[in-house]
Amino acid sequence: MMESHDETHPRLIEAIELLKSTPRISVADRVMAEVRQLPAHDQGGARRLGRWLTRPHAVTFRLRPAWTLALAAGLAAILLIPAGPPRPLSRPGAAEGIAQFVGHFPGARSVEVVGSFNDWSRGMLHLRDDDHDGIWHAAAVLPAGQHEYMFVVDGERWVTDPLAGRFVDDGFGAGQENSVLIVRPAAQR
Amino acid sequence: MAHSDEAPPAGVTHKVNDGLTDVEAVALVVGGDGEAFGILIRRYEPGLLRFAMRMLGNPDAAADAVAESLVRAYRHLAQCREPARLKSWLYRITGNRCRSHLARRHTNDIPLDEVPAQVLADTSDSWVQLERSEQVALVEHALAGLPAEKREAFVLKHVEGMSYEEMAAVTGARIPTLKMRVHRAREALLAALEALV
Repeated sequence: MMESHDETHPRLIEAIELLKSTPRISVADRVMAEVRQLPAHDQGGARRLGRWLTRPHAVTFRLRPAWTLALAAGLAAILLIPAGPPRPLSRPGAAEGIAQFVGHFPGARSVEVVGSFNDWSRGMLHLRDDDHDGIWHAAAVLPAGQHEYMFVVDGERWVTDPLAGRFVDDGFGAGQENSVLIVRPAAQR
Repeated sequence: MAHSDEAPPAGVTHKVNDGLTDVEAVALVVGGDGEAFGILIRRYEPGLLRFAMRMLGNPDAAADAVAESLVRAYRHLAQCREPARLKSWLYRITGNRCRSHLARRHTNDIPLDEVPAQVLADTSDSWVQLERSEQVALVEHALAGLPAEKREAFVLKHVEGMSYEEMAAVTGARIPTLKMRVHRAREALLAALEALV
């Protein structure tokens, strides 16, 4: 019979120390070779430019007084021109459809959608709550088919859309799920 | 498969001289610098290989599981919701991979004839190392007899030195459940070791 099952049992301590030996193998070269075959996360200059344009930057103008007056007159003229209707969502192609995202996040400062359609990248699809009632919404033209997505609230909290019709395991265990959206081609509607 | 001469044991901090935190390294990779993923590989590969090796009992299967897990992690790095907890995320992916591998064998247990006797051996050096490798093989044999869930809990707790909170993040199991698995695994391992000697 064993004397003790305590973790301080000498034989157990000895076994644990032996199990801490690390296998003398490496997969680093193999993994990096595969990684180099995959597309980089950032798709290049266009996306970087897009990010730069969507981030706030301080811009300083130094104008002579006479130019300031001219600029003020020009701005006034622009502001007096009646604004046109809101710019419509771009027309979806035959293999695209319009996806609507709606979420109830009272008190949130920002809500955005990340998903398989944008490589899970943040900063690309923001929801709006213009009337500050906690209902955030956005629409986007997406390729027809099934997409997985999550809301990112206040830039840090990833939230599964409780109103999604379907959910799938995120594939990383721990029981977390992504929401599923099925976009039908606009031509079939 | 490349071989490395340096294999620090568990519990040794892998000081990668890059000065970057996990969060910074992840930001580099997600920002388009794929080579920065090498920093994360160097940092976590030894532990992940050790974990997979203890779970699968076979160095080739462990190498496959870790390689597949790291490539998967790279592909989905933008989905890593908490880069500060990257370690747990990587172990979770690797644990899932090991479970899939075990499921394909139609049993959660490692067939005892798959446990290599000299996996960690470097028999050219001395009798001391030879004796040590035999001892390791003996302990691995005993560990292989545990059910996968208990083996996983034992390895994460005692070999990888994780807290129960980290283990919960890796396995998805509740902390009381994990404590019970570790306790039962200790009992079973001691019994197996005594039976083997």
